[in-house]
Amino acid sequence: MELKEKLCILADSAKYDASCSSSGSKRNTNSKIGNVAASGICHSFASDGRCISLLKILLTNCCIFDCKYCLNRKSNTIKRAIFTPEEICEITLNFYRRNYIEGLFLSSGILKSPDYTMELLIKTIRLLRNKYHFGGYIHAKAIPGASEKLLKELGALVDRLSANIELPTENGLKLLAPNKDSSKVHKIMNYVKNNRNQKFVPAGQSTQMIIGATKESDWDIMTKSSHLYNEYNLKRVFYSAYVPVNKDTYLPSLEKPPLIRENRLYQADFLLRFYHFKVNDLLSPDNPNFNILVDPKADWALRHLKEFPKEILTSSYYDLLKIPGIGVKSAKRIIQSRRVFKLCFNDLKKMGVVLKRAKYFITCGGKYFIDSNLFKKDFIEKNLMLEEKIPEKKEFEQLRLFNE
Amino acid sequence: MNNGCFIYEDTFLSLLTLIDYLLKNNIKPANIKNNSYFPNLLDQVIHLELKENKNIFKELISVIGPLASRAVYYVFLSTEENKELIIYYVILNGYKYKEQILTHRNLRCISKTIKISKYVAHEIHKYKGFLRFQEFENNLLYAEIEPVNKILELISNHFKQRLKNEYWIIKDVGRNIFCLYDKKKYYIVSGNEFSINEHIKSNHELEIEELWKSFYKTIGIQERKNDRCRMNFMPKKYWKYMLEMEDEL
Repeated sequence: MELKEKLCILADSAKYDASCSSSGSKRNTNSKIGNVAASGICHSFASDGRCISLLKILLTNCCIFDCKYCLNRKSNTIKRAIFTPEEICEITLNFYRRNYIEGLFLSSGILKSPDYTMELLIKTIRLLRNKYHFGGYIHAKAIPGASEKLLKELGALVDRLSANIELPTENGLKLLAPNKDSSKVHKIMNYVKNNRNQKFVPAGQSTQMIIGATKESDWDIMTKSSHLYNEYNLKRVFYSAYVPVNKDTYLPSLEKPPLIRENRLYQADFLLRFYHFKVNDLLSPDNPNFNILVDPKADWALRHLKEFPKEILTSSYYDLLKIPGIGVKSAKRIIQSRRVFKLCFNDLKKMGVVLKRAKYFITCGGKYFIDSNLFKKDFIEKNLMLEEKIPEKKEFEQLRLFNE
Repeated sequence: MNNGCFIYEDTFLSLLTLIDYLLKNNIKPANIKNNSYFPNLLDQVIHLELKENKNIFKELISVIGPLASRAVYYVFLSTEENKELIIYYVILNGYKYKEQILTHRNLRCISKTIKISKYVAHEIHKYKGFLRFQEFENNLLYAEIEPVNKILELISNHFKQRLKNEYWIIKDVGRNIFCLYDKKKYYIVSGNEFSINEHIKSNHELEIEELWKSFYKTIGIQERKNDRCRMNFMPKKYWKYMLEMEDEL
């Protein structure tokens, strides 16, 4: 098989993994080629608008597992391929020298056994690091069930090591991935968390959940995320809208991947990590799914109008963060600037505050942006929707097309 | 001398030296322009013969701090028409507000500086990713860029660390200047002194390019196709020099 065909097969099989970040690593190496950039660098953007930072490939798409949602499952009759370690090094280095990529993302189907696959991954990456002295970013997938000794070896070679939890509940996993065992994934996460340092997985670990392949609610997903962040210090949880690649009675027949839902989950994820929100603030068992029409923060604010409008000139940093349209950066800028001069609405705009959302929830120097008698839920909700240019209703019904 | 149009040699240090002189002598300039400026009839052009102070940037950093100093440098690299006057006012106010200077966003020169330096920093970051080298047969790597701002040196500094054991050349097409790197240092040279011959790509180079183009096509998920999102992150002006976008131009 030609190298080009192999690359196409093994990139095609890897593309459903959402993670492509190359940020947050710091390493001092005596490498001959390559380094890492703390901010991460995107080298291109694919036709779906996702960033291409790493050469994202599988070592092989052969797999002994039969996960229902996966293109590479054992029972699919597709073309199978396997890279040799030398081939991977050759492509990576040639791409890196020409500045196509920031590094390598290497995952794999499970060949023979978890340990056997892990050893192949290690062999490849060791070649890249020790023979070619490659200092660029490497993100490797740990194979659940592989021994601790191998985890230790791989973790010392890469910037990021991760294992995908795939589904938020045990039931979901049992249904769609009968060969997978979430306790093995947790074991990896635990090991990485306890051993992480400058020389072991410096860029930390991440994981991914598939959205919309099972009937779990956003509440289930966010509860799981929150648990993972607290328990294992994960850098990121990625959410990947389910793309129907297989037909199976256990799988929903979606017309389109649930992209808006995925977007809401990412927004909520940021609220958990940077805005001091808790899952309970955003969702509850009685209200288990995000409002598709407005973002989670605006939705929260509309349900807690009693706490608004907040005064820009006096509110604390934490209160500023709760205002829709104000982010971490703009909140910090407000705090800095209001010490040195008196802010007005126009200044806020210059600081990056999204006024089209924020203006409904704030006063600035005691003033509301229009007649303060209009500060009512109906008025705000209606206008927020108008400003957001809500797309056609059709798209929102995509989640209910389960065939059972 | 008040209200004159002051001329500086087109270097950052020469501009800072001039501004320092103006501030110390309490001269308020009507304008500050580089030596390629073509004056109009009303300009009272003043050419001071000042000796460039090599330490002037360090002195600036000690007054307004590293962050604000970098922002000032980025403004200098921009194509903003009145950038010299903006820098003059930042430094003028810098003596008053010291390291707090950037928080004074209500000053026009500061809000402008923040906006312009952000734009320059953004372009630098984009080119770190979007620049594409091709390899010549003698292992030399060659890339062309066409940035709005004068960022060739800052881009080169990035690749000096990343590709330290390679010979490479980056050309700023719009300004016709080259950066040459010889595994130790880089040199910025003008297109008047240096040129690259027309080059035919080797078979090996074409194979690698083909691999990259197929990877690019494969990695996008058809069901999630989103041209608008892609365009937001990767505006069309960058496509011209990006191998993988050739077919879509």
